[in-house]
Amino acid sequence: MKPQNPNRLRRGAVLLTAALAVTLAWAADAPKKDAKKSSGPPVPKLKKNDLAPLPAGEKPASSHAPFEDGDCSLCHKSKDPKNPGPITTNVNAQCLGCHEDFAPILARKSSHVAAKENCCNCHNPHNARQRKLLVESGSTLCLSCHEAIRTLTVQAKVKHEALTQGSQCSNCHNPHGANVEHLLVQLPFDLCVSCHGKDDVKDDQGKKLTNVKSLLDANKEWHGPVSQKDCSACHQPHGSANFRLLAQEYPPQFYSPYDPKLYGLCFECHEDTILAQPQTTTLTRFRNGGTNLHYVHVHKTERGRTCRACHEVHASKQKHQIRDAVPYGSRGWMLKVNYTQLPNGGMCDKTCHDQRVYTNSVPVALKAK
Amino acid sequence: MVLAIFSTTAAWAFAHAQVGSTIDNVEMPTLAGGKQFLLSNASANVFVFFKPGQEHSRTTLTQIAASAKDMATQSVHWVAIVSDRFLTPEVEALVQETGLTMPVLIDAGDTLYGKLGVALTPVAGITDKDHKLVAYQPFSKVNYVEVVRARVRHLLKEITDEQLQAVLQPPAATQGGAASVARRYLKLAEKLLQAKNHGKALESVRKSLENDPALAAAHTLLGQILLAQDKPDDARKAFARALELDPNDAKASEGLKATSPSTK
Repeated sequence: MKPQNPNRLRRGAVLLTAALAVTLAWAADAPKKDAKKSSGPPVPKLKKNDLAPLPAGEKPASSHAPFEDGDCSLCHKSKDPKNPGPITTNVNAQCLGCHEDFAPILARKSSHVAAKENCCNCHNPHNARQRKLLVESGSTLCLSCHEAIRTLTVQAKVKHEALTQGSQCSNCHNPHGANVEHLLVQLPFDLCVSCHGKDDVKDDQGKKLTNVKSLLDANKEWHGPVSQKDCSACHQPHGSANFRLLAQEYPPQFYSPYDPKLYGLCFECHEDTILAQPQTTTLTRFRNGGTNLHYVHVHKTERGRTCRACHEVHASKQKHQIRDAVPYGSRGWMLKVNYTQLPNGGMCDKTCHDQRVYTNSVPVALKAK
Repeated sequence: MVLAIFSTTAAWAFAHAQVGSTIDNVEMPTLAGGKQFLLSNASANVFVFFKPGQEHSRTTLTQIAASAKDMATQSVHWVAIVSDRFLTPEVEALVQETGLTMPVLIDAGDTLYGKLGVALTPVAGITDKDHKLVAYQPFSKVNYVEVVRARVRHLLKEITDEQLQAVLQPPAATQGGAASVARRYLKLAEKLLQAKNHGKALESVRKSLENDPALAAAHTLLGQILLAQDKPDDARKAFARALELDPNDAKASEGLKATSPSTK
């Protein structure tokens, strides 16, 4: 532990003047924003921080070396701690004068408006109750501006522990700048698999979750968003009203009456017509002549088969994420699908039904049940 | 694993049109009235399928509209395509909201959807001037239009294979680390030396070297501080070390010369 500097208490009091000067400089620096002119998402309104040093006698969690050592003139016009005056240049230029490694970080494709505008939007240049001179703890600081995310996290029925564990928001986001949109440190898949590529991860109810890396290693036909490393296509990482943090509704059961609203997740990308039109020669190759077999399976008022009945959502051994087997009954027994792709159609054999062959050209007469 | 991902991605295509195949050029009715061809003889053709009432389409069209504007001087032909299943006022409202100025082609009876085998919306196809499909790009929630733009720029030979790959697989946004800390202490030491605070400057530059012993500039500054403290022999060693690490360090050369025994 560092010995108490006898001058510190006195400095702490008098540097209020300095803090005021910094605050004024910050206010003068702040560009006038017009959210309507931005083509990106709405920019949260920044709040102004009290940049004064902590009250005398309070032990900071972090302290800026020049302040701690009384080297006021490294940033301020005067070296007199009683009256250091304004800082010598604008805030970010001042900070980047020493923290020069942040200049290229702030220049990355996805940059944080708050950081580019003024380092003091998040950091106290003197000392702070939080690590890294942050004016608030990690997520509290972020959510003080990002109100929509705060509301989402509070209201979510299904929570994501990544938001509350470890570095919280910074588990996935770099608050200064990143090479992926939304300040993501990496593409979503690379971030997600850093946790969900392990065997011991559980959901917020304590249920063990799939090791996605193992699943993908063993099954080489990947769903498009997985191949694009875009887990966020289907999952809402900040919290969701739907199971498994799904971004939209998706039937959790094997059977479900057909209701397009239940397939909101799939229809975010897939054409809803694939389930809605009984006859087609263009929408799908899963058709017997013009009879749309997706419609036949799914479009029922009772016991309609949901997407999961035949398709894996992440990866499979067969093309089109067709499953090898489907869960049957409550004891985890798996019923083989026995799907075979044929040159002009396909076949399922000894599965939920007897052998059925379909062709895209001349329809095959289907046996009655 | 990364290679596996991109080999899979490269194999993606419309259900009935593989990457590398030639896309038939067709004349289609437009939202504004009249007719327009799907493709042109521009160096790159970009066609984007969208639909009203879908957030992904709204986001995509907004960004595609901005990209088309940014790349207006390049030889790129941009069109958007919508099924005639949707009501014209809905389509018009979306076009207006997103600032889309490119032609909007109406796919009557989903003919083009069926011909190409479009199963996802939004989705973009990119062809070269010979109408060969060079990229199929379904929507993603992050970096989508940036990837479309990069693919167009790659086709126009404005970016290299490596630059395209850096967009498809962006490097992790790391920060900090010992090297950064070393640079930070070095800058602080420079300021302290300017303020003639030699003791603290020495302390700071030593912290810099603890974090990155191979930082030539820190050895040079150490020499300058030691010289300011009237320790030329120690300073000379620091300048010599700096030049071992960076033979082009002019300040270290100058310092070594100033502290060499023959100069004394």
